[in-house]
Amino acid sequence: MYPLAHLGSYVFPALLLGVPAYAYAKRVPVYETFVKGAEEGFKIILSTLPYLVAIFAAISCFRGSGALDYLSRGLASVLKPLGVPADVLPLIAIRPISGSGALALTGDLLRAYGPDSPVGILASILQGATDTTFYVVTLYFGSVGVRKTRRVLLSCLIGDACGFAAGFLVWRMLMS
Amino acid sequence: MIALGCLTALLTGRVDAMMSAVLDGVRQAVELVIGLVGMFCLWVGIERLAEEAGLVDALARLAKPVLGALFPHLGPARKPLGAVTASVLSNVLGLSSSTPLGLKAMSLMKDEVGEGDRGVDSMSTLVIINAGGFCLFPSTIIALRAALGSRVPALIAGPVAVAGLAATLGGLLAYRVLGDIFRER
Repeated sequence: MYPLAHLGSYVFPALLLGVPAYAYAKRVPVYETFVKGAEEGFKIILSTLPYLVAIFAAISCFRGSGALDYLSRGLASVLKPLGVPADVLPLIAIRPISGSGALALTGDLLRAYGPDSPVGILASILQGATDTTFYVVTLYFGSVGVRKTRRVLLSCLIGDACGFAAGFLVWRMLMS
Repeated sequence: MIALGCLTALLTGRVDAMMSAVLDGVRQAVELVIGLVGMFCLWVGIERLAEEAGLVDALARLAKPVLGALFPHLGPARKPLGAVTASVLSNVLGLSSSTPLGLKAMSLMKDEVGEGDRGVDSMSTLVIINAGGFCLFPSTIIALRAALGSRVPALIAGPVAVAGLAATLGGLLAYRVLGDIFRER
């Protein structure tokens, strides 16, 4: 078992208790300061709503119309000869576009093949290889109202491709 | 994307399916934001406490040798670098605080460096790092694998870290290279 896999479940309470306790020791008015910050967090997330609505509309349009399936088929013609199992191709197509969609698809693959099967392991790796690019770019730049994001989006997608490639290579080494 | 989607829908006769998907999508966006409100209030509140207590400055001092090189434009201002560090660390540890702290860092960078090329460069770097999702503890996938009966749920942590690192470095490199191309236009 990966010894530090549950580190997150220790860090969370440590921060929740540690930061206010430290601030109290430093004579920072804990409640008032927290509320001020919480109000700021409230404003930040609400200010991203228009941007998220726009990108979700575009993405649903792309998925609902079946364009995503064509993209996934196009990917297949390139990636299949390289030895990528056909079942994970839709996952590669959807991963940068929709976080919940990709997670659902990974769940389906793990259920169908078993989490410890070759396909199950590859699906898990690809799911973790990158974050939901469109969502992250929209949310981060939306929150500060910056609209010039084309270069960043393109860079992130190239990064995603690198991540998938690296994940696939590691998987091949694991399987051989 | 909308153009491609509409075109495909018209060509394949799936206009109705597309319309309902779009309405579904915008509802999901609103639900997502409302679902995130509590978490944002919590984490940005904690961040504010850490800021006032001097913890964010301390974090920035610690991280300067590593992250300072990636964010050359943040200069002597410690607050943005501290917030950036907190967000990137959360991301690496697989904590939910990554996004709230990331957006907080974005607003600090905007305030301190502005919206010019230098500001946008710093903000883009953070976006690329967090979108690359380099993560040593991919808790969501490990939990999913364990729930579905995997005997080695955390087996994938190493490969995921390698892939995430490749995604992050590839993205940063692409940003540099694309910078020259975009500037020529």
